[in-house]
Amino acid sequence: MFWIQLVNGLMEGMTLFLIASGLTLIFGVTRIINFAHGSLYMLGAFMTYELVPLIAPGTLGGFFAAVLIAGLAVSVLGVVFEMLALRRIYGADGLMQLIVTVALVLILRDAVRMIWGPNSLSVPMPDPLMGALQIGQSYFPLFPIAVFAAGLVVVGAMIWTIYFTRAGILLRAGTDDRGMVALCGVNEKLIFTAVFAAGAFLAGLAGGLAAPYGEVNHLLDTTVIVSAFIVCVIGGLGNLYGALAGALVVGITKAIGVMYFPRLSMVLIFLIMALVLIARSMGRQGGSAR
Amino acid sequence: MTDPRILWAQVARAAVNWKLIAPLLIAVEALNWLAPASTSTMLTEIAILALFAASLNLLMSFGHMVSFGHAAYFGLGAYGFTLAVVRAGLPPEAALLAGPMVAALGGLIFGALCVRLTEIYFAMLTLACAQITYTVLFQWYDFTGGDTGITGFMTPRLGLSEAGYASFALWTVVLAVLALWVIVKSPLGLMIRAVGQDRARAEALGLGARKVQLTAFVIAAFFAGIAGTLYAVLHGSAFPDYAGLSLTLDGLIMVVLGGLNSFAGGIWGAVIYQLLSTFVPKVIHEWELVLGFVLLGICLAMPHGFVGLLKRLGLGRKGGK
Repeated sequence: MFWIQLVNGLMEGMTLFLIASGLTLIFGVTRIINFAHGSLYMLGAFMTYELVPLIAPGTLGGFFAAVLIAGLAVSVLGVVFEMLALRRIYGADGLMQLIVTVALVLILRDAVRMIWGPNSLSVPMPDPLMGALQIGQSYFPLFPIAVFAAGLVVVGAMIWTIYFTRAGILLRAGTDDRGMVALCGVNEKLIFTAVFAAGAFLAGLAGGLAAPYGEVNHLLDTTVIVSAFIVCVIGGLGNLYGALAGALVVGITKAIGVMYFPRLSMVLIFLIMALVLIARSMGRQGGSAR
Repeated sequence: MTDPRILWAQVARAAVNWKLIAPLLIAVEALNWLAPASTSTMLTEIAILALFAASLNLLMSFGHMVSFGHAAYFGLGAYGFTLAVVRAGLPPEAALLAGPMVAALGGLIFGALCVRLTEIYFAMLTLACAQITYTVLFQWYDFTGGDTGITGFMTPRLGLSEAGYASFALWTVVLAVLALWVIVKSPLGLMIRAVGQDRARAEALGLGARKVQLTAFVIAAFFAGIAGTLYAVLHGSAFPDYAGLSLTLDGLIMVVLGGLNSFAGGIWGAVIYQLLSTFVPKVIHEWELVLGFVLLGICLAMPHGFVGLLKRLGLGRKGGK
């Protein structure tokens, strides 16, 4: 039981990291908190629901291809939203920006309810990942392990992109000083759009990966965004490795906590967050204050 | 502050435009007694949400603290009242005080944590605190009744008629909003605004920014608690959804709809929003979809909301901020 929950926690932590990293990247460059990030995650899950029966159903490759396409579709939607709405309010009051993304939350939630109905849907797991791995007396369910591994691949690709490609250099430069990047003759708007596309892609991917392991419904958006916010508070916004650590801590605490304190796992996470905040404001770093 | 003469001077200085407000209140009161009972219930809900939005607006427009979890204090108010009746066995009339007190206490505990952070981090942490409140209310079956809430523990509206309770709620809300107005105009209100506008300068002038923000947070929680208590009495029930994210978002939308950076903004926003959400769903089923697009339009085209529109038309209070 412990090992099953641990593996589940690792998987949830990984999907949380994919979401939180998108939030963090977007925030780093545009200074906007995308409240609709959970909605993009939800959309990724619904897209996967549509795509899985179409692409070689039941196989491993078919599932991952469906998830990838779902992520790309969500990314396209994110770009449309960025170009039509967000682009016009970059310099505006932070609250206005938040409210614009809240508007997207409302629109997407009702659109999803219109298209797929209010009931929970389930996405079939690919056949090769149905079972569990037995080591000694303990069982390790395969699917969460596979999702965790896929997440690790994405993390590797992300780190490689950020540190070793021109796009990554522009991203880091944009995070450090966007005015300077613009002065250097780089099209600032293009960076914003690209970062938003990447963040939306990650959210859609996470939604697709997690889709077979739970219910897919129109209420996913808020549960996910709240967990992602907690991860960002623990890890520190704009800090990718902090987000990774925070996501794994939250995921594992949730999964293990359910075993011992079934009613209080959220309270446990809250306590961790409170401890982190108090410890941080005692002087480890001032990053969170600004 | 304890000297009643000073307090009265503050009330007098707060300069409320009674020539405008008194006829409006009388008209609402007349409508309440003449119209059918369902209208009275609607008026009660509008009044309650106006108070909720006004308390959120104290944080947002004056303290520049964007709370993404204000519904928590509405819910704590409702549950504080309900649990005082159900678990502590207080008579409902006495329990009325417990609701706002519990909400203020919750505001003190969460606020002490939240004011350590600023701006976007503050918003995220308030959201997390509210979700924890919601989860506890939702999961703690033995004490809070869990997701089915608590119902049937008292006669709704304290046994008053719909119109009678609407009148009671209306005047409670008027008094509470007046108190908020006095607070905004008092030295404390100035301090809240100073910290909101320029934290570094306020600190350089010797204000303890965190202390001021915490005070504002507790006050806002207290008034949201009054709104929650009134709501619980209206329906004679309490549900975890009272502390849910959708109510928080409703509150934010009301403030933005009405207009940021004005005291009346939140109240106007609540009135407009509540009227819309009562009548629009009868015509169009996808109300949230419509609301989302309206919100987008307001943010992109009309960033000062309804009050901004009034001012542009020359109808606003002159020189009002």
